[in-house]
Amino acid sequence: MNPVLSQFRTEIRHFFLVSLLNHVFAAIAIATGVQYIVTAIISQTIDPLIPGIPMIPGLRIFTGAIALICFGLGISWILSTVRIFESIVTIKEELEKAGEAIPDERLTCLIVRMLAHYRDNRTTIRTMILVCTLGGAAFFEFGIANGLKVLSISSGGFAFTLDNLLLIPAMLLMLGISLASLLSSYYFLKFVQTWDRRLNEIEESECSLKKTLGLDEP
Amino acid sequence: MSGRRTVYEIYWEILVYCKTPRSFTAIINRCDLNSKTGQEYLEFLVAKGYLALVTEGQKSSYHSTSEAAVYISLFSSLYQKLFDATPEFKL
Repeated sequence: MNPVLSQFRTEIRHFFLVSLLNHVFAAIAIATGVQYIVTAIISQTIDPLIPGIPMIPGLRIFTGAIALICFGLGISWILSTVRIFESIVTIKEELEKAGEAIPDERLTCLIVRMLAHYRDNRTTIRTMILVCTLGGAAFFEFGIANGLKVLSISSGGFAFTLDNLLLIPAMLLMLGISLASLLSSYYFLKFVQTWDRRLNEIEESECSLKKTLGLDEP
Repeated sequence: MSGRRTVYEIYWEILVYCKTPRSFTAIINRCDLNSKTGQEYLEFLVAKGYLALVTEGQKSSYHSTSEAAVYISLFSSLYQKLFDATPEFKL
């Protein structure tokens, strides 16, 4: 198999997986945001964030506001992912359809298309690196805060409460989202580094194209 | 093809597409160009001898010349070499 085709196909598949992962967890992040808004604003029972420390009524509104911001971030996150995802899906499908015997020109055409797609979405991907890192950190904190509810801390020590053990799945979900966000951020960064280097290489090799076209003549 | 492309990528795309004779409208539609810039690109390629304007009766079409093959193959090799020179992106 053509090594360029093999490498290009692998890269597109892997980027597709990262985008898909990001897509799924953006949806979960939105759902979690909605759940927090509902719990924080509509709930009549005041649930302390940390056992032993009473919930201040104003804090409920503050939590709701934070959840609302997270919800908005989730929406913009998912919209950005959709745009990137759609182009990758098109290129991936064309590569799959072409099979092993892809003509040289078709392969170059898909590489050019990927470069054009990257130039168009470079800023969005860079923003997503930042959003994913911040989102990952925020969800990690939510996860830890949920985890603290399982513990009952008193002056004599600490204990796990059976009722509160039900919060463990929520905590694991939060930590899962956090991990997915941080992983997405890491892989997006790797992707940006690889394709930035390629863009630089193209700029350097443009001299020979210029020469062939006779554009460097005095 | 749409998206942000360099001028060299557009030239390559036009030359590859015109391996079989194509009309002006077909070229600008395929390469996602407006008629003004499309006309400029085509005039440049014709002036350099990479494209030939063939007129048959009322119809005129553009056809890549043998000179274009040099540019097309250089372009393909440069773009495919990108995958040799840079480390692979993988999970």
